Amino acid sequence: MNRPPDRYRLRVDGHLDNHWSAWFGDLTLTRESDGTTSLSGVVADQAQLHGLLVKVRDLGVTLISVEAIEPRPDV
Amino acid sequence: MGPLLETKLHVPRRRRALIARPRLSDALSRGAESGLTLVSAPAGFGKTTLLAEWSAGAPADGRSIAWLALDQRDNDPALFWTYLLTALATAAPGVGEVALALLHPPQPPIEAVLTTLLNDLVALPDDVVLVLDDYHVIDSREVRDGMTFLLDHLPAQLHLVIAGRADPALSLARLRGRGELAEIRAAELRFTPDEAAAYLNGAMGLALTAQDVAALEERTEGWIAALQLAALSMRGRDDIAGFIAGFAGDDRYIVDYLAEEVLQRQPGPVARFLLETSILNRLSGPLCDAVTGQAGGSARLEALERANLFLVPLDDRRRWYRYHHLFADVLQAHLHDEEPDIVPELHRRASAWHEQSGEQSEAIRHAMAGGDLGRAADLVELAIPATRQGRQEATLRRWLEALPDELIRTRPVLSNGYAGSLLVRGEVEGVETRLRDAESWLGTTTGDPQAAQSPSGAMVVADEDAFRRLPGAVAVHRAGQARMLGDVAGTMSHARRALDLVEQDDHVGRGAAAALLGLAHWTLGDLTEAHRWYTEGMASLDRAGYLSDVVGCAMALADIRVAQGRLREALSTYEWGLQVATGHGPIALRGAADMHVGISERHAERNELDTAEAHLVTARELGEHAGLPRNQYRSRVAMARLRQAGGDLVGALDLLDEAERLYTSDFFPEVQPIPAIRARVWLAQRRTGDALAWARERGLSPTDDLSYLHEYEHITLARALLAQHAAERAGPSIDEATELLERLLRAAEEGTRTGSVIEILVLQALAHQARGDGPAALAALHRAVELAEPDGYVRIFVDEGPPMAALLKAAAKQRTTPRHVRRLLAAVENTAGSTPVDQDLIEPLSDRELDVLRLLGTDLDGPDIARHLGVSLHTVRSHTKRIYTKLDVNTRRAAVRRAEELGLMSRTRGR
Repeated sequence: MNRPPDRYRLRVDGHLDNHWSAWFGDLTLTRESDGTTSLSGVVADQAQLHGLLVKVRDLGVTLISVEAIEPRPDV
Repeated sequence: MGPLLETKLHVPRRRRALIARPRLSDALSRGAESGLTLVSAPAGFGKTTLLAEWSAGAPADGRSIAWLALDQRDNDPALFWTYLLTALATAAPGVGEVALALLHPPQPPIEAVLTTLLNDLVALPDDVVLVLDDYHVIDSREVRDGMTFLLDHLPAQLHLVIAGRADPALSLARLRGRGELAEIRAAELRFTPDEAAAYLNGAMGLALTAQDVAALEERTEGWIAALQLAALSMRGRDDIAGFIAGFAGDDRYIVDYLAEEVLQRQPGPVARFLLETSILNRLSGPLCDAVTGQAGGSARLEALERANLFLVPLDDRRRWYRYHHLFADVLQAHLHDEEPDIVPELHRRASAWHEQSGEQSEAIRHAMAGGDLGRAADLVELAIPATRQGRQEATLRRWLEALPDELIRTRPVLSNGYAGSLLVRGEVEGVETRLRDAESWLGTTTGDPQAAQSPSGAMVVADEDAFRRLPGAVAVHRAGQARMLGDVAGTMSHARRALDLVEQDDHVGRGAAAALLGLAHWTLGDLTEAHRWYTEGMASLDRAGYLSDVVGCAMALADIRVAQGRLREALSTYEWGLQVATGHGPIALRGAADMHVGISERHAERNELDTAEAHLVTARELGEHAGLPRNQYRSRVAMARLRQAGGDLVGALDLLDEAERLYTSDFFPEVQPIPAIRARVWLAQRRTGDALAWARERGLSPTDDLSYLHEYEHITLARALLAQHAAERAGPSIDEATELLERLLRAAEEGTRTGSVIEILVLQALAHQARGDGPAALAALHRAVELAEPDGYVRIFVDEGPPMAALLKAAAKQRTTPRHVRRLLAAVENTAGSTPVDQDLIEPLSDRELDVLRLLGTDLDGPDIARHLGVSLHTVRSHTKRIYTKLDVNTRRAAVRRAEELGLMSRTRGR
């Protein structure tokens, strides 16, 4: 892709409470049925992304995946 | 540094409610035999606890352990290495003393600094272990490079233990390959079921069944922090079984579940206290009081520690604590979620408290974390002087980069500070903008900051003192910027302005400005002015206590004296500079080696070659860290000259090649470019063709305009032309050389460059001799000797070899002979044995032989050559034989090669 992605989804093992959303830059927090939690939304740049990954690391949760997601088409 | 230092070097105290984990202690002890042990696991796996426990037991095992707890700020290499060396010294007194002293600007490359540390370590009778905790905070490339060097050269006496939440970004392959790397990872650190049982039932006093323990162990997977939280939750609870069932069956993130359990069971005030103080990196009673607005913080902290609520003491006196990282993260998350509005206020209070305690760094961190960037900008502005003095340039840079431009633009002192930060790093990009921003506020009416306005808002000044001195400070930066851009005129005008504006007692500013002015004059060849300004600059820098810069100025002053032909003064300046560099403490300052090289060069000129060599040896033995950046190349050039004087021309060329690779100008005028020096060695080897090729490539011509910066090259050109004449015996070279020398002489006399005058006169004498004009030659020589005698020049004559010897003999016969001539004659005769390895032509080639030789350089065979010259083949053959003898070769190809070296083929190539 030409433009750097600005939306990401992080997936971690275990269910996180809602209050973590603010800690993770107000990403949308969704507890999935497979026992994981996904955090998704706009990420300003790579530096911010890595900052989020460090926060994930520091919680001691297991990181399952990180993916860039396509922006929702304008309606 | 003070109190912060104590907490960073403090081995964490043994915590209560610990269980013994001999399998891990043993693994650590075994691992500590290796060069590097990694303890790598996420937060809450008991790394620090394990290491602390192990360290506490070390003295019994006869091991010396140094401890350093790292934090974000240690990404500034100045801080990182200072702390590391200080920590090491606690375990091995005296180690790293030199290195610590070297961590000042101009700091040598970190490899040179660390080399001195390695030397200290290798001399230790006992091994020492250095524990670096929380290494995962380090992301600075500079620090990483230094650590890589340390690891690559790790001596047997030093054992590193690096603990962190992620594997360090270091290249570990080599250590792993050599079996020098031990690892303790999450898998090992987890509580085993037995350990979990011992912890829960033994240390925490719970009475759990084996099943209970198993359920907990499974749910937490042995994660110690989780088990801790679980234990705290279960204490004093009636329905333990119910708790475990609920916990085991839940999907929630363990820490969430358990932490909430713990938090919910705290009385309201305690919970509030925990939330509000969770923003702090380190906690003390008074600081907590300031943040919470309540009293009794100290008592609360002690109570929390006793209750094992994740508070870790940072010193022995119960003044400072920190929260367990995981717990702090949970608390902060709750805080941000539940009461986001009070967070900025909490940070503001923390910032204010730290500011009053004089802890700039923490004050700034809190201001930024609280989003009060205006306050942060003010604090940064006030922190600039201390940061500069502490050489924490990287820290200052990070702060500045975190501030938005709009804020910086309204703060002239900060803008100027930013410019300075860029210049110190050698960066020119962005300096102009920052300086203009600063200057835009200075154009307003004097003394009334309130009156200044610009579209982006009112001017803001936090450091009134610095604002008063700003005009001068900006001028100094402009001069520095001009220097970096190679703008000599600009350097001069800004430096002059700076001297007008800078206050009398601002010794650093005056010193910097004067030295820059001196440099500008020097570049233009105004040696007298240059000397005057460097002298003033040096005096100011001396008053400011910047000894390394004093040594740098002394270097410049001595070099200027050399150009002026005042060798004795130059020598005593070098010796004085050496005193300054070595006299004030056990560690030689940077520049000491340069002084020895300068002294060596002066002795070499006097033909005191053994003394000269001894000084070069001393310079080398002082170590790389004792030399300024230019010393690497300059010392090799000096050594090359000595080799040449000893007759080893090939060795001299090798050294010049090395010098070229290590060349750095460091903004000094490049008055003796290495390619020109090399060309002179070629001339000594009779490789006239190569020397002339160099001149052609450089675009040098005898009719060029002359300037100080190109004087050495033009004199070299004159030498090459003289050599060409000597080889060819005909052509315009001699006239060109003579005219060039005459012009060079006038220019050198005008510029009072007596050293060059002497050299030019020597060459003129040789030129006259080559033309057969004996009296003119002797007259020139006489003048040269008169000028050379007071300061003892010898080699400038001796280096010219046999032709000069002949002239000196003739001069000695005259009635009015300076005594110096006899000295020179004796020197020449002494060095007769060390003539260049490459002999010059014993007998020159005749014109006819030259014709044949040139045709030998073509594809023509013998008969063709004979036909071309109109002679018999037999004649060609005898010419060829004689040519081979004279050139001392056996084959046609060798003859051609030799002829090329001698410049004999320089005319038409027989096309």
